[in-house]
Amino acid sequence: MRSSSRTAGPLLGVLTVVLTALCLSAAARADPSVSLGASFSPDRLGARTTIGLSFRIGAPPGQVPPALTQAEVRYPPNLGIALSGLGLAVCAPSTLDAAGASGCPANSLMGRGKAVAELRFGAQTVTESAAISIARAPDQEGHIALLLYVSGPSPVNTQILSPAQLLPAGGAFGGRLNIEVPLVASVPGAPDLAIVQLSVTLGPKGLTYFEQVGRQTLAYQPNGILLPKQCPRGGFPFAGTFTFLDGSRARARSVVPCHRRLRGLRRG
Amino acid sequence: MTQQLRRVRVAAICIALAGGYLIVAAQIGSAPAYAGGAVAGARAARVLNATDTAHLHYVSASGSLLLDEGKASGALPGSMRVHLNLGTTFTGSFTISTSGGSITGRGSATPHGSGAYESFAGTLTVTGGTGRYTRARGHGKLYGTFNRSNYSLVIKTTGSLTY
Repeated sequence: MRSSSRTAGPLLGVLTVVLTALCLSAAARADPSVSLGASFSPDRLGARTTIGLSFRIGAPPGQVPPALTQAEVRYPPNLGIALSGLGLAVCAPSTLDAAGASGCPANSLMGRGKAVAELRFGAQTVTESAAISIARAPDQEGHIALLLYVSGPSPVNTQILSPAQLLPAGGAFGGRLNIEVPLVASVPGAPDLAIVQLSVTLGPKGLTYFEQVGRQTLAYQPNGILLPKQCPRGGFPFAGTFTFLDGSRARARSVVPCHRRLRGLRRG
Repeated sequence: MTQQLRRVRVAAICIALAGGYLIVAAQIGSAPAYAGGAVAGARAARVLNATDTAHLHYVSASGSLLLDEGKASGALPGSMRVHLNLGTTFTGSFTISTSGGSITGRGSATPHGSGAYESFAGTLTVTGGTGRYTRARGHGKLYGTFNRSNYSLVIKTTGSLTY
């Protein structure tokens, strides 16, 4: 008995040190937190709309979150994306790469947005804003494909192509928008650029399409994503899963609520 | 002489058998044909290998749910009505109304292609019907195109129908 208690003492001490170190390490590398936002504009059942999606990545004070590598946003069923009249043409990745969104056919653009990234210059955290254009790309493996062209002029001149796909989703969702986020190097020796905010719209707001009628080219605004005439119970659910370079993941949810004046139309 | 008579008889039997075979073959080949071994007097199940094409126009939509209808031509001519959920996979139900009754079923298809026209291909199942097709059952393939500008559909179906 005496001998076992003699060995148990140092063992417990070592265990305590190891556990404390692990806890401190976990606290130092706290997983990033994410908040997700979703909106319809206009927000009217049965109407054509533009979907707004946004997320904000949080990190402990004074820290920059790890680089985001993938964002997956599941969207509600019964959103008429195929009936939106958006993406009637396609833009090749090579065109976007060479000439940016202005080089793409106007009828391939499906939305716009902006992103905010952070990078570390020594002890200083610098913020960079970038504009986003979303274009319809050639389908990939039978799935609707999109390309996000992200262009930020300074302090790091950045143009990146971020491929995205509309994929099937199970459960309460109609599909999922899967965005692959490439790594963007900042300055030598420093971590990659970290996206901390992103907001995009998918819909006709701010877009002009063109149609050839006889010899005339007519400009028009595409229809937009058709909302159902009935509101699902609990509103329109959105859910996001965000994967980071260090292997951590964060999840967030959002709901576009049903308006009180339209509750009579809610599906039982 | 006896041998000649025998040869004539054999030839006559052969001709009769061949004629009978041709008549049976013609009956089997025609559509609808009777399923093998149907008992006389009982309601025989008919099997129809049908290929139809439907040109459908937009009627209404709500969210991703589309209602189209139009004319169907082919082995089952009539009108067709389709409720389609245009998600990442196209799923839906259809009714073909013919002079002898209606045929109902469901199907799913994977869309592909980019631009103004979305093509799709998948499978369909016939689940029932009315009139002559009350006991309709069957399965087949479907493919077609969806016009993203005016929401019209061209659907080609092919398969076997038992009723």
